[in-house]
Amino acid sequence: MRDDIGVITLDNPPENYLADPDFIPLEILRKWTSADSLKGIIIHGAGKHFSAGGNLENLFAMIHGKEDLMARMKAGKAVLDYLENLNIPVIAAIQGVCFGGGLEIALAAHIRICSENALFAFPEINHGIIPGLGGTVRSAQQIGHRKSLNFIMAGDMINAGEALAMDLVDYVVPKSKLLDFTYTMMQKMTQDRPLPVIHAVMEALRNAKTLPINEAMQEETRLFCELALAESSRKNEP
Amino acid sequence: MTLPSFTTLELTLADGIGQLVLNQPPSNMMTLEFFREFREAVDFIEGNPEFGALVISGNGRHFSAGAELKSLHDEIRTGSVVVDGRVTEVPELLIRNFQAFLKIEKFQIPVITAIRGVCLGSALELTLFSHFRFCGEDAIFGLPEVSFNLLPGLGGIKKMSSIVGTGRTLELVLKSNTFSAAEAYEMKLVHAILPRRELMTASIGFARSVMENYHLEKAGLYLKKYFA
Repeated sequence: MRDDIGVITLDNPPENYLADPDFIPLEILRKWTSADSLKGIIIHGAGKHFSAGGNLENLFAMIHGKEDLMARMKAGKAVLDYLENLNIPVIAAIQGVCFGGGLEIALAAHIRICSENALFAFPEINHGIIPGLGGTVRSAQQIGHRKSLNFIMAGDMINAGEALAMDLVDYVVPKSKLLDFTYTMMQKMTQDRPLPVIHAVMEALRNAKTLPINEAMQEETRLFCELALAESSRKNEP
Repeated sequence: MTLPSFTTLELTLADGIGQLVLNQPPSNMMTLEFFREFREAVDFIEGNPEFGALVISGNGRHFSAGAELKSLHDEIRTGSVVVDGRVTEVPELLIRNFQAFLKIEKFQIPVITAIRGVCLGSALELTLFSHFRFCGEDAIFGLPEVSFNLLPGLGGIKKMSSIVGTGRTLELVLKSNTFSAAEAYEMKLVHAILPRRELMTASIGFARSVMENYHLEKAGLYLKKYFA
């Protein structure tokens, strides 16, 4: 953690393969994010790459070894759901390869920034499986059903420019500037912002995704009133 | 047909094209009185067969600097119900305001916002419910609510995220800084940037073309040809 910004590093170089579907145990993540001062989280990969995704050998070993694959996948999903539903912003800073499970982690973030040399793919289909940590759902939400179908079914790799054009990422920046750009953006977003305001914005944004327009707007107005009342009473205090 | 007359805005109709002008220059602040008259104007236009298109703009240099906060705070203080620190009921007025925005979106006629100068907060939110946003080269946009420890509460987050995506919306709202016409165009928030002097003529011309030649659903394609 630096200032009020937390950093999660996928640290299994060189490719940062994910040993387990739940790349951070939920309990540890929960404890870490419960720090009162935490205002934002940046996820990145150690070294040259973000993450090449799940370790297929491990995965198939899990299947053959009759380990409870379903339970492990469920745990992995719970971690990503937790990140997505956090009431502080999560930004993924992506360099190098971002494949499969790595891309699914990136898709659970609220903002994706990548370097010019980033590469994206859901290669699962080439191994007879599909993205299993919410990737099919989140990519459809992010880039639309048609593009998502093509991307997942083809299993092909795309570059940073293509990812930007199809709205898979929000920004492409030079490799050397990736972390600075991400950190500066997060600072500008959170530095002078009281936590209740950040929380309210995150809640409204989540509603925008999940609620029909009438209800989402009703909630937006309600959150506005809550902040306005807090502000009024703060100003009236001596 | 006699059009209602207002003090904070102006509603005119010529050859089937309605013009709603925010009329409290220089900043065209959206006061409680403005919102009241605005709702009345929207109800008047809704389903009125004389209106074939609507162009919304601001009188003078600017579209609008957004909602006037002082009276809004007062309204919220007196009109909200709070139970255990949670607002359970908001002032009826605020709900009627966003319902007026939703009505505009559902109009069966093309609604165009022509944006000059500043377009901030609730004013930007208003434009998000129009079908086409055209702006002058000098236009300045922003959702500054968070810098006042508030959030965009009139559909800004909901509509913005469906137009420019979740990531950009989160960034814009939390940073709460202003951005230029070029940036607005780059994130597909506005459909066209025009020279300031031509903005009104072009917006009305476009409204006429859509009204005369096309159904609203086809207007997106038409837009591309029109400004090609």
